[in-house]
Amino acid sequence: MAQFEETGPRTPVNEPTRVDKVHPRAKLGKSIRVILIVIMTFIMLFPVIVMVMTAFKTRVDIITPPPKVLFRPSLEGFLYLLTDRALLTPANLAAAQANPGSLSFWQKLALANGQQITGVSHYVARLKNSVIIAGSSTILSVILGLFAAYAFSRFKIAGKDDLLFFILSTRMLPGVVVTIPLFLLYKLLGWNDTYAGMIILYTVFNLSFSVWLLKGFIDEIPVEYEEAALVDGYTRLQAFFRIVLPQAVNGIAATTVFCLIFAWNEYAFALMLTSDNARTAPPSIATMLGSGGLEWSAIAAGSLGFLIPVVIVTFVLRDYLLRGVTFGAVRK
Amino acid sequence: MTASESPIRGPNTRVGQHHLSNRAIVNLFIWPTLFLLIAMNVFPLFYSLYLGFTSYSALIRQAPVWVAFQNFKDILNDPQLWQSFAITGRYALMTVSLQTLVGFGLAMLVHEKFKGGAILTTLILIPMMISAVVVGLFWKLMYNPTFGFFNAILGFTVPSTAPDWLASSIGHTGVPGLALIAIVIVDVWMWAPFVMLLVLSGLKAIPDYLYEAAAVDRASSWFQFWHITLPQVAPLLLIAVLFRTIEAFKSFDLVMGMTGGGPGNQTELIAVSLYREAFLGQWRTGHASALAYIILIIIVAVSSLYIKYLNQSKGEG
Amino acid sequence: MSTIELRQVEKKFGDLHAVKPLDLTIQDGEFVVLLGPSGCGKTTTLRMISGLEAVSGGTIWLDGRNVTWLHPSARDIAFVFQFYALYPHLTAWRNIAFPLQAQGESPENVKKRVNEVAKLLRIEHLLNARPGQLSGGDQQRVALARALVRRPAAYLMDEPLGALDADFRETMRSEIKRLHVLQHATTVYVTHDQIEAMAMGDRIVVMSEAAIQQIGTPAQVYYDPANLFVARFIGSPGMNLIAGKYADGIVQMAGLDNRYPVPLEWQSALKKGLDGGSEVIIGFRPEAAQINDQGKLIGKVYASEMQGSSAVLHLTINENDIFHIRTDRLISYPIDTLVHFDIDPQMVRFFNPKTEAAIKPEVAQ
Repeated sequence: MAQFEETGPRTPVNEPTRVDKVHPRAKLGKSIRVILIVIMTFIMLFPVIVMVMTAFKTRVDIITPPPKVLFRPSLEGFLYLLTDRALLTPANLAAAQANPGSLSFWQKLALANGQQITGVSHYVARLKNSVIIAGSSTILSVILGLFAAYAFSRFKIAGKDDLLFFILSTRMLPGVVVTIPLFLLYKLLGWNDTYAGMIILYTVFNLSFSVWLLKGFIDEIPVEYEEAALVDGYTRLQAFFRIVLPQAVNGIAATTVFCLIFAWNEYAFALMLTSDNARTAPPSIATMLGSGGLEWSAIAAGSLGFLIPVVIVTFVLRDYLLRGVTFGAVRK
Repeated sequence: MTASESPIRGPNTRVGQHHLSNRAIVNLFIWPTLFLLIAMNVFPLFYSLYLGFTSYSALIRQAPVWVAFQNFKDILNDPQLWQSFAITGRYALMTVSLQTLVGFGLAMLVHEKFKGGAILTTLILIPMMISAVVVGLFWKLMYNPTFGFFNAILGFTVPSTAPDWLASSIGHTGVPGLALIAIVIVDVWMWAPFVMLLVLSGLKAIPDYLYEAAAVDRASSWFQFWHITLPQVAPLLLIAVLFRTIEAFKSFDLVMGMTGGGPGNQTELIAVSLYREAFLGQWRTGHASALAYIILIIIVAVSSLYIKYLNQSKGEG
Repeated sequence: MSTIELRQVEKKFGDLHAVKPLDLTIQDGEFVVLLGPSGCGKTTTLRMISGLEAVSGGTIWLDGRNVTWLHPSARDIAFVFQFYALYPHLTAWRNIAFPLQAQGESPENVKKRVNEVAKLLRIEHLLNARPGQLSGGDQQRVALARALVRRPAAYLMDEPLGALDADFRETMRSEIKRLHVLQHATTVYVTHDQIEAMAMGDRIVVMSEAAIQQIGTPAQVYYDPANLFVARFIGSPGMNLIAGKYADGIVQMAGLDNRYPVPLEWQSALKKGLDGGSEVIIGFRPEAAQINDQGKLIGKVYASEMQGSSAVLHLTINENDIFHIRTDRLISYPIDTLVHFDIDPQMVRFFNPKTEAAIKPEVAQ
């Protein structure tokens, strides 16, 4: 915003330097503020910290009161999460214990609880489903949204505002209303519990957001660049790919992150429209049952593993995210 | 930004190559999206409406039977469903107002820059990024009266006297439990950062010189807040409130993770009731569709009120 | 009485020296302009006087009181911002009334003063409007009214006309000057527009690169610039500056065999000022030169501009320097014509190229 540059060399300043703000008493107020922020951040992160701790605790540690802050870490949770196990008969148990050298780390861990690994748990398959479904639907919704956003941004279209509002309203629609007929429709088409069904569903759900967000970003790219390209003899399509696309990278990044987060974390539709084949991770994590009820360490391990990719992507693209969250709001 | 034909053949168009007209491009770019949206949103919307007038059950292989307004009448006469609506309303009110207050407060705290502000802001975003059902599960663990951290931090370390936040009543007093409030706390934890982000962007847009003029005029902090900060932030705040209210009415994942609607039906939000009707027990699909429509109407009504209020406040400034 | 005194006032932002230690005294009732290009430190200096920036060193005195660390609202000053800074949701009336209300004035007094000021600025018909509904010029009038209503000891204005359209700027310029004369108020005014500064200031403080280059009346900075920067910055176009070598009373300019005989009264000053060196820069304003077929200097026409009743001729004597001569002849001069001219000996100036400072003439005994 050029209008603020006239006031002199204020750019290197990160803090206000007004007389009353530089005063020692003001500095005290600032310290209090910083302390409060640190406390709030801690409160915000505390449950996440609990989750991380729980993922590495043994079952025993988790359920004995009072809750432990210091504990001996164990990878039990991951074992429960990622493998299926069977109890060993006393004879087999003795045999295995006699020959510890040939066992892998994981097998030893299972052995400590008297169990033997029989195979990979269905969680791994569910995780794979999540990656495929969330990934594909994100790519699709971003691509389709990009094309539509460009068209809406650059061309005069009959009833453009109405169409845009329609697109927006689909986002406002509660899932509850479409779940039942979609369930029936999918049953009819044989799409229940299929990749295709879920991918299309998530794509559509993210489309309205994707179109609006990307349109906002594309609107900010000056038309003059494309017009210059057109005068130089490029076709509209070429101008789109060579000029608009590179400049819209920020917007694409932000949109991708949001669509990914939604599709990745989605629970309700996954619960209702899948059972075994195409089920994603969120419904699975919720139902990990162990011998005494919920297997907390497994749930924690699964949640942690599930959260990390999202956190990484978000951290890398955090500046775009702030813009993205406010874009849809401000632009309306 | 009018569609214009590019008449010049430049170095990149091979002779004889037919390049797409603008009309064709518009169609190609927009129709796939529109088609998908209509197919997956409009069709179900109407089909759902139709089903609401039938006694169809997805479990039974029988064509839908028309029952006119019977479903709607049943729903409006069902005290359990009314209670569900009431609970949802209370929940929405509590969580949205708390979220807004906390989010606004956070934004005011974080607003004046300091070292590491960007990193902290990112960290505060993490709660929003976790799957809601997972959040529900985790807080369930934390709320556990014997081995959960929540009680431990508050000081209730003796198992026999520690309150069970998700129980059906407080001790033996018969007073209904705190489960709904427990869920509100979690929802606020998750979404206050969202409000914070929106408010923050509004705060950043306020030019410094307004505050400077206030300083020269010796304006009180309250005056500055009321006349400079709030008017700039109000539209964004209202949008945040709008979104979060709609989401609160639709809230499903969190509750399912934490309580499944219990204990009893103290936390049975309307979306959970809907799930029960449609996919559990008798699979009363037609009945559930009618319920879904009623929910839709309520959400649309509430949203319209907000949007009207939003436009009004924008028009003023 | 409201004199403003800055003693060794400086400002640093980290390692960046935004304002180098400077001294400045502004007399009661004076209209002083801080003039300079962006980033020269003029706005920062003004903000330090107001208290919106804390000083990094030095002291500020208002009427003999040390106000260096006083809150802006305690200094008895009014500040007019470039972008008006009106409270957007209050009516113009409430905006103007606010400073008085904050001071605890009685409602009758407030009403009286607001109406007085509104009349002075001719905005009575706008009092019920909100800033968003007003044009830029009207908004600035409201901002001025808000400043005037308090009758402070001094007015500080930060490029108040910068956001206005050109035609409005001229109108508002004269309004502000008129107000100043009526109020007899001390005013410190910041601008980067030297025409504005010359038109409005009793004294001009020319600043560049965080330091004062010259303090003087408009006539002084125009006719006797203290250094090359002031010579170039003041006037449109700025002063013509041509490099040459001085020896034995003659300046040999590079190109086109121009030998300028230095007027007698300058010769000893030049000898002293150049300190034995021979490099010198001659300066003269466009109107100081006269086109004269018998003129001793020659230039080649580069371009010419008709400006109504006069013309500006752009001449070169080598590939590097273009200088400008104002002439009221309407004869056209084709490009590359050779033109003879003279420089008025009263208006010629000399500069030392190494120090960039002006060479001062000897004071006649």
